[in-house]
Amino acid sequence: MEPDAQLVQLCIRGEGTAWEELVQRHARRVYNLCYRFTGNGTEAEDLSQEVFLRVYRTLGSYRSAYGGFATWLTSVTRNLLVDHYRRTRRDRLTDSLDDALPKLEAKPAAARPPDRMALASELSGQVHHALAQLSPELREAVILRDLQGLEYREIQQVLGVPEGTVKSRINRGRIELARTLEQMGLRPE
Amino acid sequence: MIWNCAQIEERLSDHLDGMLNAEESRAFGDHVAGCVICAPLVQRVTTMVGRMRTLEPVEAPARLIPRILEQTLGPRTKSKKGWLVWLSPLLQPRFAMGGASLVATLFILIQGFGIHPTKLRAADLNPENLYHAANRRAHLVYARGAKFVNDLRVVYEIQSRLRPEAAPLQAPQEEKAPPPPNPQQKSEGEPHPGRSANDSLTELASLLIPVPRSLQ
Repeated sequence: MEPDAQLVQLCIRGEGTAWEELVQRHARRVYNLCYRFTGNGTEAEDLSQEVFLRVYRTLGSYRSAYGGFATWLTSVTRNLLVDHYRRTRRDRLTDSLDDALPKLEAKPAAARPPDRMALASELSGQVHHALAQLSPELREAVILRDLQGLEYREIQQVLGVPEGTVKSRINRGRIELARTLEQMGLRPE
Repeated sequence: MIWNCAQIEERLSDHLDGMLNAEESRAFGDHVAGCVICAPLVQRVTTMVGRMRTLEPVEAPARLIPRILEQTLGPRTKSKKGWLVWLSPLLQPRFAMGGASLVATLFILIQGFGIHPTKLRAADLNPENLYHAANRRAHLVYARGAKFVNDLRVVYEIQSRLRPEAAPLQAPQEEKAPPPPNPQQKSEGEPHPGRSANDSLTELASLLIPVPRSLQ
């Protein structure tokens, strides 16, 4: 039995220290997934808390036969991110209209918040912004593969789609991301 | 096998993830080498994926884990550090009193042996030196005590000489019948009228015990 599965068993028996160990092990990965998907630190923090709250409540439903705990946790995170995306779609549409106004006034740099300007100076920031341009399906596939380092089989389990769909989404996502990065001024070396 | 541009784009990720077989890989390479559209595309995506995989994960805020634990396990109390956990039984009153007694005993012993912790040398811990130091200290204490008792004796002697001589003689008579009060009697502490003060002091000086120079 993998260490995570043993910790889950201890958690179900009421061992608080086992739960603490699980959180310590996976909090950073969950936060990164949320951060790369939402593009916002505060939202990522709230969503990470929500993920662990949901995992804590449904820990009894985890079966090690389903796959590794990390894959199950990623699946829970992904489902919550999709829910969050759908819930906030209307807000984003309103925001995107508001964001368009400064562009029409030809003051994009001045209108950007300082943290965005700092991020844009780094590769991480550029990738961050380019990811935000992708559709959620392509974005999550690329994040899981290239930022989280999951195997195709694990991504298939997390997304709950056939392997061919996973391959197709990753491929399209990468090509679109590379194109977006090039438009942002990031040239291949 | 000859591939076209659409096939290259479709199998690009398979190429990047090493999922092409030898024949497919050769067909991929042959086409890209001679295609002005696919070559930059492959280079661009390869570079981008390589850069993404070198990105360091973002650090989660420090407050994230405590918040999660608080929401799931309830309010957290600060756990004691490792060595404090082992020390906690020793912090009970009985052990604290025992420790205080031990410290007091050590202090008395150090004082008794005449050891100065600030000027401690290796030779001071030699048993022979310890014995001599303790012996000397005991003799000093005894001599000071003897001197103190002698001094007290001298003081009492002076007091008794300065009092009237009738007082001790009258004591037995006082037991039988107290004499009537005499308004003309001299007050206590007044020198005897028959002897001068100089005579008394001369007599007292002869009573003084000479004190050894070492104890002065």
